[in-house]
Amino acid sequence: AHTVLYITGLQFVLKLTPHTPAASPSVPGQEDIQAAMPVEELDPSHYPATRAAKVAEHFINTRYGSPFAWFGSSGVKKAGLEVRAKLHFTLKEMTRNQDMGLCSAEVLFHRADERKPPQVQCTCSGAFQVNTSAEEEDLYQRLRNATSLLSGSDIPNSVGHIDPEMAPFWHLGGVASSFIMLRESNESTLLNMAHIDNFTQMETKDAQLMFQYDILLHDMVSQEILKWKLLLSWSPDGGVKVLEAEWDPKCRSCERAHLTVTTGIAAEQEMKGDNNNV
Amino acid sequence: MSYLPANYKNVQCTPVCKQRQHAKSNKTRTSFCHACFVTHGILIFCRLIKGHEARNYDYTIYHPLAEISTWMGQMVSENPDVVTLVDYGSTYENRTISLLKIGLKSDVTKKAVWMDCGIHAREWISPAFCQYFVKEILRTYKTDSKVEELLKNLDFYITPVLNVDGYLYTWKDNTTRLWRKTRSPGTDGCDCIGTDLNRNFEANWGMVGVSQNCCSNVYPGFKALSEAEARSVVDFVEPRKNDIVCFFTIHSYGQLILFPYGHPNVTAPNYNELAEISQAAAKAIKAVHGMTYTVGSFAEALYPAAGSSMDWARLIGIPFAFTFELRDEGSFELPENQILPTCEETYAGVHSVITYVHNKIFYSAAITASATLWTTLSSSLLYFTLLYFT
Repeated sequence: AHTVLYITGLQFVLKLTPHTPAASPSVPGQEDIQAAMPVEELDPSHYPATRAAKVAEHFINTRYGSPFAWFGSSGVKKAGLEVRAKLHFTLKEMTRNQDMGLCSAEVLFHRADERKPPQVQCTCSGAFQVNTSAEEEDLYQRLRNATSLLSGSDIPNSVGHIDPEMAPFWHLGGVASSFIMLRESNESTLLNMAHIDNFTQMETKDAQLMFQYDILLHDMVSQEILKWKLLLSWSPDGGVKVLEAEWDPKCRSCERAHLTVTTGIAAEQEMKGDNNNV
Repeated sequence: MSYLPANYKNVQCTPVCKQRQHAKSNKTRTSFCHACFVTHGILIFCRLIKGHEARNYDYTIYHPLAEISTWMGQMVSENPDVVTLVDYGSTYENRTISLLKIGLKSDVTKKAVWMDCGIHAREWISPAFCQYFVKEILRTYKTDSKVEELLKNLDFYITPVLNVDGYLYTWKDNTTRLWRKTRSPGTDGCDCIGTDLNRNFEANWGMVGVSQNCCSNVYPGFKALSEAEARSVVDFVEPRKNDIVCFFTIHSYGQLILFPYGHPNVTAPNYNELAEISQAAAKAIKAVHGMTYTVGSFAEALYPAAGSSMDWARLIGIPFAFTFELRDEGSFELPENQILPTCEETYAGVHSVITYVHNKIFYSAAITASATLWTTLSSSLLYFTLLYFT
């Protein structure tokens, strides 16, 4: 059995304040919350809230994910944003359909620099009390004692099927992807792992198991499929770590992971500019 | 042909079956070789038909294009009184785009409901739902008076696969499974294939939620209605826009019920009503399997995007237009064991919307009609009375 935790609802709506230059920290990397700043309510069914919740989900996976613990979100109850989004949400363990209690998180999007990854703080009432140690140990020992290296491909297949023996590696890929998705997220993304093209276990001499993954991520906003190569390690004690990650652009004219998607009226000017450049 | 004797209701004809291996899932499926013809509940005969599924079409697996086409033909041959096949357009690669027109025959022009599935090739649960929807209304209209009333008063135009080229492409191999757009070539020296059909309609075309790079998955085309598939929809829907009262476009994933508009600066005049209808639909969905579908305008709940079929439908005056994003919340490759529950809940949501719209039109109009009738009757009575006395 595996643990897949989902955010099932943000509990309160935080408020959004427009970013003002005066509020920027003087020392880069240091965030000060201006207590006097008014906070504006966010509708929990609107995308600023759902995107922030997705980032919180990726954060949780990077901290607590494993082949038997994979977290996801399933509904925003309440959200708001000042310089950062503050969320309350209910967490659910997906594979057992288990309610995990309440979490609260703060997601800070760096509006001034979209390439800076969001910063997340998160605490949950029930903590992540899913006892997966037996399953993790079992898998770990099986892999360590196996005579050949494990690999898999096309997970899930076209009709959504995942072999039960492959499921932990689907979740492991998801957790590892969360490191990338957390780093790549901003207010204009909503990232999910779409598919594992293939994964291969690598030789290791130390306690960690090592895997090479070819993964496809999906960004809801641009609708793009993003190809990533990951080298990751895992052990029950060491947890999941991403050692190397490389984005593989699918087309020559793609400049980076996200093609520019017009999101405002400024788009018209951008479009006209684009036509001149072609 | 092989015949069975006339028999009682509910007798199944026993098919001679061929076992067939499903290409992707390795499940064994049965190709039934008989169609059962039943009149007044009495089994008349079984007839051997070519190849594929008849009555026992499997609605719990994904079907390739050829099987869907065959199935459409069978829906017509099994329900000739209520189902017609309409070829209404073609794709870039010259494939036919077809819909099933479903409704009880009428002498007068009827109001209608439009539903398209498979605008985006990789969203396989969408065509699966259209097929289920057709199956379900045909299964129940003879015994469920509410469904019968819907088919009496409305015609349903159901397109199981709109982006035919794209859908076929996603069945090619596991590297093509996540294709979204059409298969038309890039223009102006841009050498990527495909246009995002749901950005190609004349609804604030190209203004927001698009990329002018033809390699982008939200490329709106080199101009509005550049795509044959989009033009096919317009050519069919536009002349009928005064009759079409409800417009559904089915997608995945995300579990959302969205209403106009996708452009953030445009608000539908009936925003509140659309929101109410959508909330009720979400409630109906949740009652089936407990799944939460989020409700909002397209621009608010998902992202700003112009040129969608739903926005265009609303702009030309179709009052009730909805985008349904089905299960799940992270993947286009929805497992087959979720097809049935997804279809069941979506049916409940769609049915809730259609019922609202139907009742609004036919029950409030009925009051007017009876008033008119009474007026006509009384004036006729007066006229004949006058005649009598003169």
